Amino acid sequence: MSSWLDYTINGLIVGNVYALVAVGLALIFGVSRLINFAQGSIYLVGAYIGWVAVVRLHTPLPLTIIVVAAAAAVVGLIIERFGLRPLQNSVRIAPLLATIGISFVLDQLVMLTFSPNPRALPSQLPDVRFQLGGGTIGPLDLLIAGVGLTSALLLFVFLRYTKLGWAVRATAQDRDAAMQMGVDVNRVNQAVFGIAAALGGVSGMLVGMYYNQIDTAMSLQATLKGVVAEVVGGAGNVPGAVIGSLLLGLVESYGVAILGTSYRNLFAFLLLVVVLVLRPNGLFVSARQAPPEPLTGTFVAPSRPVHIPRLVLLVAVAGFALLPLFPVSFYVLQTLINAWLLGMLALSLTLVAGTMGQVSLGHAALLAIGAYTSALLSLTLAVPTGLAVIGGGLMSAALGTLLISPSFRLRGHYVSIATLAIGEIVSLVILNWESVTRGPIGISGIPPLSLFGYDLISPSSVYWFSLAVMVVLALLQGRLLSSHLGRSFRAIRDDDIAARAYGLSLNRYKSLAFIFGGFAAGISGGIAAHLYSYINHETFNTQQSILALTVVILGGLGNVVGAIAGSVALVGLPELFRIAAEYRILIYGIVLLLLVRFRPQGLLGTI
Amino acid sequence: MINTSPEPLLTLSNVNTFYGQAQVHFDLSITVSRGHIVCLLGGNASGKSTTMKIILGLVKPRSGEVTFDGASLIGLSTPQIVRRGIASVPEARRLFADMSVRENILMGAFVRNDREAVAQDLDRMLTLFPKLGQRLSQRAGSLSGGEQQMVAMARALMSRPRMIVMDEPTMGLSPLYVDRVLELIRSINQVGVSVFMVEQNASLALEIAHEAYVLQTGRIVLSGPARALKDDPRIRDAYLGGSEAA
Repeated sequence: MSSWLDYTINGLIVGNVYALVAVGLALIFGVSRLINFAQGSIYLVGAYIGWVAVVRLHTPLPLTIIVVAAAAAVVGLIIERFGLRPLQNSVRIAPLLATIGISFVLDQLVMLTFSPNPRALPSQLPDVRFQLGGGTIGPLDLLIAGVGLTSALLLFVFLRYTKLGWAVRATAQDRDAAMQMGVDVNRVNQAVFGIAAALGGVSGMLVGMYYNQIDTAMSLQATLKGVVAEVVGGAGNVPGAVIGSLLLGLVESYGVAILGTSYRNLFAFLLLVVVLVLRPNGLFVSARQAPPEPLTGTFVAPSRPVHIPRLVLLVAVAGFALLPLFPVSFYVLQTLINAWLLGMLALSLTLVAGTMGQVSLGHAALLAIGAYTSALLSLTLAVPTGLAVIGGGLMSAALGTLLISPSFRLRGHYVSIATLAIGEIVSLVILNWESVTRGPIGISGIPPLSLFGYDLISPSSVYWFSLAVMVVLALLQGRLLSSHLGRSFRAIRDDDIAARAYGLSLNRYKSLAFIFGGFAAGISGGIAAHLYSYINHETFNTQQSILALTVVILGGLGNVVGAIAGSVALVGLPELFRIAAEYRILIYGIVLLLLVRFRPQGLLGTI
Repeated sequence: MINTSPEPLLTLSNVNTFYGQAQVHFDLSITVSRGHIVCLLGGNASGKSTTMKIILGLVKPRSGEVTFDGASLIGLSTPQIVRRGIASVPEARRLFADMSVRENILMGAFVRNDREAVAQDLDRMLTLFPKLGQRLSQRAGSLSGGEQQMVAMARALMSRPRMIVMDEPTMGLSPLYVDRVLELIRSINQVGVSVFMVEQNASLALEIAHEAYVLQTGRIVLSGPARALKDDPRIRDAYLGGSEAA
């Protein structure tokens, strides 16, 4: 009995922390209809500023809180001014992609400055527990609750009784009308980003103190949790975000009590998917009300694709095919093999995100499904690896499409959130389904690729194999795009309502796109598994999904040749310039930001 | 009604506007004299609402000049233009639906900092629009269309504007409210506020306007004193051509 009270207290405290993140997300969504994927990075920055203040500067707790809030607010203002304001007139999904880029840049900067090793963040509070009913509560719990309540109160007063607060509310309800009342919406945006960042930064610091540990992995987790809480409460609804956060905290806490710690995140993401599918407006808005914004508009900037003569393509393919015959180093071949594997993933994503307009942030899950299927088929059922890889592709096509199908009824931002959550769910299921996936230990000793009884062990044979598979997939996809199917995909992307009015079944075409894309990605994951010989639940992570997205935007969304060229560029160039691994993610983030800002149609143009 | 000094307050001269490739305005020139009600008539897709947006700085013209009280408005942001003394009653009211009626009206005074005078003006609005008195704490979104129009007009007046621009103020209202709105526009004008209104309903608008312009696919095809235009057969022709709506 007493432990249940403890779990309740724990759930509410954690919920308070989520609320600080989610309220910021809700304010920003309210004013600019943007889901700020950089919110978790600000939370991370807050935690590390807190660490500097406490451990290096020995500031007293109240001052620490003020320093963290102020510094995080400055980061928020910089993001708004230089990252987002220049994108005001571009397509709606552009700022979303920009916040993803910003979050990569911020996370990597923190990692480069402080190293990825976890650090302890002492709370400076006495370590005592008070009895409360049947449970216990500590001073840090009270601090978190106090900060949460105070922030909520201040925010309420701000929104209700100050002029700027009125401007924020008016802008959230009707941006144009607010401008016609004389509201400077840029100032409103600034205010909202500053407040959201201050709250997020303090939240990160409090969490660091709560677990007495901070590390750079906190960032993505915080963004995801904040987004879950915000969407559960109804996007843009500030009180809803608070209630959604507390609910999320409780669900997680009770879930952990029943099933164990490793299930914590699974509950969060399942809750998100269920809410998105059943009540996309959140729990507190009547179901019949229209969503706050249709959230349409893809990132596909209209452009004329660069025409590449067939001969040039043939020469390029032949050149790459003949490469192993020349005395090139193993290192070059290895790099290009990675590029071909990424190329298959990019083909998949460029079809789904570019041609179909469903910006998926969970594409690494398709790799993981293909990889695990192929690895397990060859290891436990002794299926020849060549067939196992195909099995991986088929499984990824079937299971991937099935898992992603709940997102078919969503649009715009919501597709991105849902696919991100589905990607996380796949990774968490792999972690927890130990009888099949061997859980956290991962799968080792995966046999190498073989074809008709011959093992492909030499680098050049693996190189040829992966290049050939990628070229075949690219040709198939090119064929698909020029058929009536390709036209239907693009019609749905450009205007799904009109497409439906012409009798196109959205679910059927979205399924077809994901089946084809899932197959390509599954093959890529399958080959990777046999190449690496060891995989675990973290081998295919969100970073890879984002890398693939950067690749396809670089190449031009929907552009088959562009997807491959983008893969070669983003895998090859860092190798060519011998850029150390820890800087690469930073560079991907910067590339994404520059593309969104200056060349949204990519290098070869969108199709 | 006749104003002794027909000095121009707002002028649009040779304005050309584009949405991407498509040209919306062709050398549009309009003058609103100080103290006058000027109405812009036209069917669907004639470029009426875009004219409103040009004045308010929500859309930038590719060429041409817009001046208010002798100073150019080109390059100013919407809030800056509002501070110059132009208030608006947008198409379909555009109230802040989840804010109370009181908050909506007070939002109109956003550019003012004289709290006491604002409070007095709020009282004045309640005498001008007595029905709103009982509705002050209600959500604006819960009002009827006619009541919402009253709130939108009160909101516009709260900034003590020199000119109000209105986009189809009678659209979607019951006949009773249409008369009431027209009466109010006239009384607003009598206290010295110039009015520029965009309307589809020509006969009603010409009742109260001093001057009128007829816009057809981005060009002014007819203009002059409202009284003269009322009897002009071409008014009817202008409507039947170029627009599919009756």
